[in-house]
Amino acid sequence: MSALEIRNLRKAFGGLEVIANLSLTIPFGQRHAVIGPNGAGKTTLFNLVTGWLSPSSGDIRIDGVPVGCGRPDRVARNGLSRSFQKNMLLENLTVLENLRIACQALHRSRRSLFRARTAFGEIIAKAGSVAERMNLSDCLHRSVKELSYGQKRQLEVAIALCAEPRILLMDEPAAGTSPQERGRLVSLINALPRDLTIVLVEHDMDVVFAICDVITVLSYGKLLVTGTREQVQNHPAVIEAYLGRHHA
Amino acid sequence: MRSEVVCVKDPIPGQLETRPALKVRPFVIATGVAATILALALPFFGATFAITLATEIMISGLFASGINLLVGTTGLVSLGQAMFLGLGGYGIGIGSSLLEAPLWLSIPCSLVAVAIVAAAIGAICTRTRGVEFLLITLAFSQMFYGAAIKLRLTNGSDGMSGIPRPDLSALGLSCDDPAIFYYYVLAVTAITLLVLWRIVESPFGSVLASIRENERRTAAMGYAVGHYKIGAFVLAAMLCAVAGILQSQYTYFINPDSMSWQLSGEGVLMVIVGGANAALGPMIGAAIFILVKQGLSMVTTEYLMFFGIFFMLVVAFFRGGVFGAVRSLIGARP
Amino acid sequence: MLLFVLQLLNGLQLSMLIFLLAVGLTLIFGLMNILNLAHGAFFTLGAYCGLVVASTTGSFWAALLVGPVLPFAVGALLQYCVLQPLAERGRSTHLDLALLTFGLLFATAGAVELLYGSAFYSIAMPASLSGHVSLFGLSYPAYRLFIIVAGLAVAAALLLIVDRTLIGATLRAGVDNREMVTALGININLLFAIVFGVGAALAGLAGVIAAPIMSVYSQMGIGIVVTTFVVVVVGGLGNLRGSFYASLIVGMTDTMAQAYLPEVELFAVYALLIVVMIVRPQGLFGAAGRVA
Repeated sequence: MSALEIRNLRKAFGGLEVIANLSLTIPFGQRHAVIGPNGAGKTTLFNLVTGWLSPSSGDIRIDGVPVGCGRPDRVARNGLSRSFQKNMLLENLTVLENLRIACQALHRSRRSLFRARTAFGEIIAKAGSVAERMNLSDCLHRSVKELSYGQKRQLEVAIALCAEPRILLMDEPAAGTSPQERGRLVSLINALPRDLTIVLVEHDMDVVFAICDVITVLSYGKLLVTGTREQVQNHPAVIEAYLGRHHA
Repeated sequence: MRSEVVCVKDPIPGQLETRPALKVRPFVIATGVAATILALALPFFGATFAITLATEIMISGLFASGINLLVGTTGLVSLGQAMFLGLGGYGIGIGSSLLEAPLWLSIPCSLVAVAIVAAAIGAICTRTRGVEFLLITLAFSQMFYGAAIKLRLTNGSDGMSGIPRPDLSALGLSCDDPAIFYYYVLAVTAITLLVLWRIVESPFGSVLASIRENERRTAAMGYAVGHYKIGAFVLAAMLCAVAGILQSQYTYFINPDSMSWQLSGEGVLMVIVGGANAALGPMIGAAIFILVKQGLSMVTTEYLMFFGIFFMLVVAFFRGGVFGAVRSLIGARP
Repeated sequence: MLLFVLQLLNGLQLSMLIFLLAVGLTLIFGLMNILNLAHGAFFTLGAYCGLVVASTTGSFWAALLVGPVLPFAVGALLQYCVLQPLAERGRSTHLDLALLTFGLLFATAGAVELLYGSAFYSIAMPASLSGHVSLFGLSYPAYRLFIIVAGLAVAAALLLIVDRTLIGATLRAGVDNREMVTALGININLLFAIVFGVGAALAGLAGVIAAPIMSVYSQMGIGIVVTTFVVVVVGGLGNLRGSFYASLIVGMTDTMAQAYLPEVELFAVYALLIVVMIVRPQGLFGAAGRVA
């Protein structure tokens, strides 16, 4: 069973075809990047894979389990977590509370009405360890609003890690970060356990090359090529997509 | 360019608490104790007018607490909560006044009935968000209002009278005495708010807060957001129903006006004015609102117009409007 | 059979009246994302203005012409001076603005009661429309036919303006991207104020038109506006065509229920709303996945 299996995926909004006949298989443990010019359909692909959108046609399976539409929470429970391109944080709560709520999501206590949320030490401890992994231990009691942008991006990824996913989708984790913050983020991601499958959408090629072994290039919703760095860099279709026909 | 925020290490290393240790200042304790003493002793030194006013404040405060659970904690702004206030009141009206069942039976039955209705309505309403949610809760509220006027069961627009207060004759007390009724309401309010506080502090409550902050992310974390929203809707409805039961016992009477838009709007206003704390904020808002209403009624008969103007001013200028005010004030506590 | 045709026509007439109200509400929402809960106030305002004009000039047509003017002015001013500045300051979300209009609803109801008391008034039908017209073998009141025609005319005109004219295109562009339209030198605030005013004026027009067959009283706006909300939600918030079809559906439902099942009259409309909300929360004609 592959981590992620996409077969003949197609998504159209009215007359506009955003994803066209896409097929892709990502095995467990792979570090996979999805790149492409703006409008290539990368975020739409993520939305389809995580159950926020329903495909016009085609099939998406996570570890063999088909992804249904409209139930992104089920996708998370099946072991796939996602971080977003724009920070989707719980702004008025503390960092620790953000992580604690994320860790609570798959815990049996999540429906408890009368026990104090602080009573579940194991959840708080887990939140703490995720924070430590993402270098946020010093900020636990700060409100999210007080964090710097780079720290917010770290928290963005950290929240996705709380569900102990087998597959982690990251939508432009380094977007808008300074070189310093970017470097920190990359080393934090590389420090994650090797058996974690990562699918990364990124524009910054340094980040891509630092993290990923396999790269898929999308253009106008079509898959141009999947391969290693060398294969992709020299592929004429890729060069054409990015730089135009003259350079191919 | 935003400079890097330097995080200072937690002063109690190795100890992970969800919030820093409560630094309860002596002033806060003193105020709390004073307020409790005042509340308990009021009937002994207060005029009957003050006692009944305090009773009204508590009942309205409960109503506002129910609204706050939905609006403030979960972020679902509803303008139809008065329907549950009315349903609670009509519940015991039908149960105790019409069917002449004893209160210890009709009150729980009434609450259960409200919970069931709220679950059904909630399942429908929570499929929408924002302004559509606002509109549909309004529409449901109007539907119940219309039903109350038309149905013979509810005695139409004349309403139902003869709503009984608790029978404490075994203790040698009569709830017809404003002071005794005040203590009854005080006890119910205290217990209800305690329950509410526990719910807000529970894992369930934290998920509601998470939904308010970012519903989409909450779903992405793995929560079945729809279920939680319905749960919040039902709990809020039950709180409003408790207030409705007390209200109808207070006036011995219930009529369709208890389900009006205006009442829902007043409740939302109390929530906005009262602010922050889930348990106490609405109560404070209710107190302010009722005192202002009392003052206004002594000055003018045109309550409706001033209420409208006041409402607009509060929404327009209360630091960022409803969501801003509610969020920033609730965000004040982690 | 003849009775059925009569009910059909009555349903159509009610639908057109509701449409005039609903279209203003949905126009304002669709283009500016503001839910005007005080919409009923413009209905009331128009009716009372028409009342004043009719009693001074004795002419219904004068009332029809002048009645909507004050609602237009009030609506435009409200948008320009209150709602727009609040929205721009970024502090008020669409929900806040909706709540603001909620307060306005009570303020106007109270103000009207202050000025006119709770008495019931009426506007006399114009002589030219007081008779009956022979239609489909029926003798149908000419005035009600006038309402139907007026409603359809407004619908056609609006559709033309919004879909086919430059102003309509500018409006649609302005909602999509304010900054860009402003950068193109168009005073978008003025445009929005005018649109709000037009929406309010349509409600006011409905008020004048309804006056001869309904009573004019301070709470008249509150009664009919809930039905309007149902229409707007069923048709899809912001959807002009949707509000037209939904007006037809709701108007027919209400009239047929009233005629054949009087006990459930009110519930027929609400039942419709509930069914639509269960099956298609975004309205029958609304765009899927819209987030307020």
